[in-house]
Amino acid sequence: MKESLMDIICCPMDKHDLDLEIDSQDDEEVLEGTLVCSECGERYPIEDGIPNLLPPDMRD
Amino acid sequence: MRDDADTPESTTGLDPNTQRRAVRRRYARIATEESSCCASSSCGGDDDNDDLNRQLGYSAADDESVAEGANLGLGCGNPNALAALQPGETVLDLGSGAGFDCFLAAREVGETGRVVGVDMTPEMVEKARENVEKNDAHNVAFRLGEIEHLPVADGTVDVIISNCVVNLSPDKQQVFDEAHRVLRPGGRLAISDVVLTARLPSDVHADPESVASCVAGASPIADLETMLSTAGFEQITIVPREASEQFIREWDDARDVSDYVVSATIEGRKPEQNVS
Repeated sequence: MKESLMDIICCPMDKHDLDLEIDSQDDEEVLEGTLVCSECGERYPIEDGIPNLLPPDMRD
Repeated sequence: MRDDADTPESTTGLDPNTQRRAVRRRYARIATEESSCCASSSCGGDDDNDDLNRQLGYSAADDESVAEGANLGLGCGNPNALAALQPGETVLDLGSGAGFDCFLAAREVGETGRVVGVDMTPEMVEKARENVEKNDAHNVAFRLGEIEHLPVADGTVDVIISNCVVNLSPDKQQVFDEAHRVLRPGGRLAISDVVLTARLPSDVHADPESVASCVAGASPIADLETMLSTAGFEQITIVPREASEQFIREWDDARDVSDYVVSATIEGRKPEQNVS
């Protein structure tokens, strides 16, 4: 996931902004990390460069 | 957490969770199968993908411009042709699958534009991401998400495209509400999907496999118009594509489903001034 896409994404549940926590990156591509909702605190993982923004009950 | 008791009843004979599971299972299987063509029941059963693509409205140049593996032959039209994309636009693809329509859109919007694909099946998103490398498409991004709960900020998208996906949703009104929310004022929706032309036999209506293969979830045109209008769209047009009968006939071995569903182009615009 590119950091430049932060302006277009949001929490799928309450639509508030997400904060990005980076664990590993390759240039501007975030490979591992977490997106955290600034409102509800829900944590959405970024694995292998793919943000998992499925609603929590669909993330199995 | 969602409370499904609060969501409107699905138009199919299945409860929403059963429907979601059936859809994810089918598309996960297709994404992980080796074969590029015959994995899908919307492909006639031989390896002649070219003919199918011409029927769907893609040009030979479209096929050649995208590296192999992105087009799984699962669509029912060509939403890009419909969308008339302009350089610099931000495009969102609902149910982006392996990414074929996203890569075509990326070519149209160019380096100043961007394309975001959302899909709820992890295996599909993984495949799409591999295809980003093959196509060297740096203005395309994929994420796991559900089209009823788009992880996309309000008013950030110029054009929404989608190819034979909305019919799979157990809550189409919410899909159109979300589409309207993420579009900027004046933004447009240009999708290809199946619509219902006759009442389905009850065994098809409640069959998970028929729902997952884009037959049992189709809605009548009048219902779709109402949903789009309720969501706030204007200039709504839903036009069946007569030629689609040819390929839809191949979707089910047991019966001719073209008696019940037809592919259509579905368009709408978010008003410039949002009065609500």
